[in-house]
Amino acid sequence: MGPGVKASIMITCLGDLFFPEVGEAMVTVLRRLGVTVDFPAGQTCCGLPLFNSGYHDEAARVAERTVRLFGEAEHVVVPSGSCAWMVKTEYPGLLKHDRILKAAADSLAARTRELSQFIVEVLGVTRVESDFAGKVTYHDSCHLLRGLGESRSPRTLLRNIPGVDLVELPGSDECCGFGGSFSVRLPEVSTAILDKKLGNVEATGAGCLVACDAGCLMQMGGGLSRRASRVRPLHLAQLLAGGRR
Amino acid sequence: MSEDLLRVPFPQRAGAALKDAFLQEALTIATTKFIDLRREAFEGFPQGDALRDRARGIKEATLQRLDHYLGLLADNVERLGGHVHWAATGEEAREIVLRLCRDRGVRMAVKSKSMATEEIDLNEALEHAGVTPIETDLGEYIIQLAHEKPSHIIAPAIHKTKGQVAELFSRELSGRFAADPEVLTAVARKELRQKFLQADLGITGANFAVAETGTLVLVTNEGNGRMVTSLPRLHVAVMGMEKVIPTMTDLVVFLSILAKSATGQKLSSYTTLVRGPRQPGELEGPEHFHLILLDSGRVRQIGGPLREALYCLRCGACLNVCPVYRQIGGHAYGHTYPGPIGILLTAMLKGTDSVKDLAHASSLCGACKDVCPVRIDIPRMLVELREQVAHEHVAPVAERMLFRAAGRLMASPALFRLGARAGRLFQRPFTRGGKLRSLPLFFGRWTATRDLPPVAPRTFSERWDELDGPKR
Amino acid sequence: MTTRAEFLGRVRAEMRKVGAPGPPAAPERPAHLGEAAAAVRREMSERWPEALVRFVQEFERVAGVFHRVATPAEVPGVIRAIARERGAREILTWAPAELGMDLGPPLGPELAVLPAPPGGGELDRLRHREEAARAGIGVTGADLALAETGTLVLLSGAGRPRSTSLLPETHVAVFGPGALVESLEQVGAILEALHVDPARSMSGAVINFITGPSRTADIELTLTRGVHGPKFVHAVFVDGLGGAPR
Repeated sequence: MGPGVKASIMITCLGDLFFPEVGEAMVTVLRRLGVTVDFPAGQTCCGLPLFNSGYHDEAARVAERTVRLFGEAEHVVVPSGSCAWMVKTEYPGLLKHDRILKAAADSLAARTRELSQFIVEVLGVTRVESDFAGKVTYHDSCHLLRGLGESRSPRTLLRNIPGVDLVELPGSDECCGFGGSFSVRLPEVSTAILDKKLGNVEATGAGCLVACDAGCLMQMGGGLSRRASRVRPLHLAQLLAGGRR
Repeated sequence: MSEDLLRVPFPQRAGAALKDAFLQEALTIATTKFIDLRREAFEGFPQGDALRDRARGIKEATLQRLDHYLGLLADNVERLGGHVHWAATGEEAREIVLRLCRDRGVRMAVKSKSMATEEIDLNEALEHAGVTPIETDLGEYIIQLAHEKPSHIIAPAIHKTKGQVAELFSRELSGRFAADPEVLTAVARKELRQKFLQADLGITGANFAVAETGTLVLVTNEGNGRMVTSLPRLHVAVMGMEKVIPTMTDLVVFLSILAKSATGQKLSSYTTLVRGPRQPGELEGPEHFHLILLDSGRVRQIGGPLREALYCLRCGACLNVCPVYRQIGGHAYGHTYPGPIGILLTAMLKGTDSVKDLAHASSLCGACKDVCPVRIDIPRMLVELREQVAHEHVAPVAERMLFRAAGRLMASPALFRLGARAGRLFQRPFTRGGKLRSLPLFFGRWTATRDLPPVAPRTFSERWDELDGPKR
Repeated sequence: MTTRAEFLGRVRAEMRKVGAPGPPAAPERPAHLGEAAAAVRREMSERWPEALVRFVQEFERVAGVFHRVATPAEVPGVIRAIARERGAREILTWAPAELGMDLGPPLGPELAVLPAPPGGGELDRLRHREEAARAGIGVTGADLALAETGTLVLLSGAGRPRSTSLLPETHVAVFGPGALVESLEQVGAILEALHVDPARSMSGAVINFITGPSRTADIELTLTRGVHGPKFVHAVFVDGLGGAPR
């Protein structure tokens, strides 16, 4: 449980540059749950964009950096399913050429979790006190859902916020069309996929769209903003933190 | 695939598909239907997961003794009076078929659905040699009349309306037919019945070949597989060499999950087990049976990075769930095999160069891997293909430079911070209402259709000192 | 042209690249093939009534039409009714020995019964082909009736031509309790046993699994039946039809 647990934040490149408020919300929530939070300096990126485009040597160098940076962390908490997946699933393979680095990668993989998984599995908490209220719908990001097999923790946490009315999103398990560089290599296809997703989102009548991945939020948020939708895209951490809008 | 089509770059082919309103509707309806049918079939089938694991295990075990099983298959087919040919390339396979046609005086051939024969462009070769090939699978028959290529592995004519089919039949078969599937099916039945009865040669592919018994297995719904292997006097089967499986016990494992994955049926209407030419005392069946085992890039993958793609059963389940396929359909891919597995198969058959764009025609969402009956890890292999594309210098120089630079940026916190500051500087003229709505150059690809959040005035790292202040 | 040795040589060269990953998992199957099939027979001699219930469910689900009679003598009546319904005048059948009954006397002269010829000569073949193309109904037996999927399994061979269940618009399969099996797994065991000594157990080259009528959804995903094969499939279950099939 809370007191005594120390967690290091892996902020992710998109989180650091574009969604610092999500990082702040994460800190707020974790502290509320009694976690001592720290932030190893010098973070950049987990290397997923390099890996997915086939630049594996470069990705391995970034992986090595990250593994060293978080060497002392007891728990590593990530506000992004795709980055958590990268660290847990791909780092060991990228670093297998060096026995010591591979061992360090295995260790980091075991200590790293996406935020909702950390709260539910490590802290054993399923109900976070938050004053957030409204009708909300949840998008399953691909790496969290299929890569890490996680679809329950976020929904449990959402349902247990007293003011939240969680409405299931039809096709919640369908991709939002981000796919990293895919979104700019094939922008028309990416947008067509996005339009289908946003059609489903708006049909739910929810005022808020929640996800656990910065890439998905950038893509879906970018589309919602472009069509001046009243649906607000928010990260799970922001609902859990609550506070005035 | 049509060379003209391939001259148009993939992004443009994809763009054209997105603008085709009927195609969009047809794709949505068809893929959604197949997804629902498959889900229902597996929901009522708890043994499904274990059987999929077993199926994958059988495929892997077969690859590990592939030479043995291919030899065993050939021995058994020959023992039954059949002939086995070994084709290293598509061209060799075509040559073998053409030679058989010449030797046996074949003028007309009826074909049941075979992706392998599509792959090697057999129909074109037959026509040039004066042999008329007639596709008998209704979907394939339609596209043959229309001079098109299939757009889906299971439902080749999914991109055509019933009106278009009626028009096509009316034109090609001299009649006036209503745009009613029942009517059109009856027309095809009558027309093709004659062809089955008159044809000199029946050509099939094979879903499986059981090594231990020398049996070819055809999974169909229409009955054309049975016609083609029973009525003409000669039967030729073209089969990718990776379709061999060891035993009948193995066969039923695959049968229990194949039709469910493809169409949601427990079994297709017909599963036909063919052991060679007709037996003495049998009234019907071909006098001669020839099996052509096809390499054409497959053998090289036994020890290669696309090895798992050799497990593929050609069920089409991955196409139906792929967000990209669902938007652009099969033709836009430009090759015989579309969809997620299609990208891997194209690389296998035509080399890395052929997929320099297609390797990126995926958001790596993983839905394909979820539904694959033999659990092929398609996303992983797509990433490996991308690595090959990057390393073999197939990717454009500018892209490689960009990613190398990005790599350096991500490896250095100082450069990363600099990048953030540069971003904040450059975005200023483009920020409107707290968002970036229109960016120049490369970034315009995003902002053409989506807003972008600006780089934050202070990044999380820059805010940390304050956040760290009041400690618990 | 590539020889077998060259082709397999290339296969082996690639296999060596992967190295030896340990002995491959032996394909799982019953240790004694004949025994497993015999075990299925024994089991089914008890369980056939349950299997029949499931068979009917699944058979009807794939648009099969099911009939049940107590004795072989009642079978012609069922066929006469089907012929009337479909306006059929000619009935193609397997040879009486294969069918377990001779339909000629009870159905004629009102209906023309065309049994498979005993011979296998070219003349017989041509005449049979013409008959098969005309007949409105084809009557066969069924070597297996698979309850799990509502499937009829037919072995081709002497006196049991392939087109009887393929060319006519209506296919009628007549079988008894001995044909019923429950699962695809059991079918696998039986197939294994059949192929232990195929020359003895099978006189033909084809085994057909038939699950409902011929169908397609290739035009706008609209389901239509009777594309190339039969449009209607009937099963006539005869309680009193004994004799174990294969």
